[in-house]
Amino acid sequence: MSIFEYNGSALVAMVGKNCFAIASDRRLGVQLQTVATDFQRIFKIHDKLFVGLAGLATDAQTLYQRLVFRHKLYQLREERDMKPETFASLVSAILYEKRFGPYFCQPVIAGLGDEDKPFICTMDSIGAKELAKDFVVAGTASESLYGACESMFKPDMEPEELFETISQALLSSVDRDCLSGWGGHVYVV
Amino acid sequence: MVYVTSQRKDIVRNEGFRTVIIMKIDFSGLESTAPLCGASSEMFDGFSTSPSFQIPDTTDFDDFQKEAIQMVKPAKGTTTLAFIFKEGVMVAADSRASMGGYISSQSVKKIIEINPYMLGTMAGGAADCQFWHRNLGIKCRLHELANKRRISVTGASKLLANILYSYRGMGLSVGTMIAGWDEKGPGLYYVDSEGGRLKGTKFSVGSGSPYAYGVLDSGYRYDMTIEEAAELARRSIYHATFRDGASGGVASGMLCFIMWDQPDGRSYLVMTLGNFTICTIQLNQPLSSRRCPKLEFLCYSI
Repeated sequence: MSIFEYNGSALVAMVGKNCFAIASDRRLGVQLQTVATDFQRIFKIHDKLFVGLAGLATDAQTLYQRLVFRHKLYQLREERDMKPETFASLVSAILYEKRFGPYFCQPVIAGLGDEDKPFICTMDSIGAKELAKDFVVAGTASESLYGACESMFKPDMEPEELFETISQALLSSVDRDCLSGWGGHVYVV
Repeated sequence: MVYVTSQRKDIVRNEGFRTVIIMKIDFSGLESTAPLCGASSEMFDGFSTSPSFQIPDTTDFDDFQKEAIQMVKPAKGTTTLAFIFKEGVMVAADSRASMGGYISSQSVKKIIEINPYMLGTMAGGAADCQFWHRNLGIKCRLHELANKRRISVTGASKLLANILYSYRGMGLSVGTMIAGWDEKGPGLYYVDSEGGRLKGTKFSVGSGSPYAYGVLDSGYRYDMTIEEAAELARRSIYHATFRDGASGGVASGMLCFIMWDQPDGRSYLVMTLGNFTICTIQLNQPLSSRRCPKLEFLCYSI
């Protein structure tokens, strides 16, 4: 199993009507052994910006701490919160700094930009941004998640319907993956 | 032909070489093993006593063997267990099939009927286990017809172990338990694809077996009732599926039953449905040595 499959993870973010939803599974494992069933993978940067980190759990936690640090500095200097597009560029730059010794993480960034326009993007472990208008996925269950989201997604969903859709997509995908599961955390903004 | 070396002082030469004694050991009782020269099976009409597989033409057979073993390496992602207690032998297994990280099925029957009074469990390669258990069933039936009596669990497990030993190193992945009832009472053997065969009263096989052993060892007593034994087996599998990613999982169906053929003619079938119910069915027919109870079991997924 590769280093990305050491801890196991499943992350998905979806866009709705002036809202977004981001969801992750809750399992933390050491290869096949389950160690925790309440692991936090999605972190809040500010009220309208969330980042989920799939992949190696230690790198996810370290990267999160660095991102929070950079965002707090930005807040002090600019006296406002970062826009999601800017934050995505920041994450991409931080990941590429470690091009030849990377963080083994795949971030999923979801936020509301100007006029509450939802923004989601994902990137690979060295910072290649992938913007999408509908949904993004990451983690060991990503192939199942692609299939589930593709079939369940509709544009311009209201928050309640978006919550249902993203939960069902997540649960049905992790049922097909040994390394992720044990419930989910869903944030709808 | 087997070459045996030994040291015999009376014929030791002055040069100090060890003498070599060549003995011919009679292996006819074990039947023919895998053909190492790639003999074709068309020579035998019907089916031969041991299936013969063509060996591939490679320049480097050792490397091929290594690659073959690597191909099935991530297997044995499962939890199966069996134990003997006062009332008979209890067999239990999870029902998840995984290919690396992907779950290919949540409702796999891992307990295989070899014949109406013997069961085998599946761990390792599914194809290997299914094929060789069926082959073993054929051999057991032939033995019954030739000798007018059922084969013992000892004999059946020995047959399987010898076949697997002859395919040792070729990448078969089988970790099975042969459980059954014969004239000596309940019998339980562990047989694996390395050629090992162990007699015992308590076994668990698979990636979830350490977790299952923990629960099984602490709760086991020889004189349990059927309900207690079924509950212990169910709890062991449950705890293994909790901790092991390759077993059971969120929605796991579990199959757990006992086979029992008592001299006083009673026979019991115990089933667990999902993770919550245990029901006991009593069959009231007296059993003769010829008519064996056909085991019917059901597999439920939540």
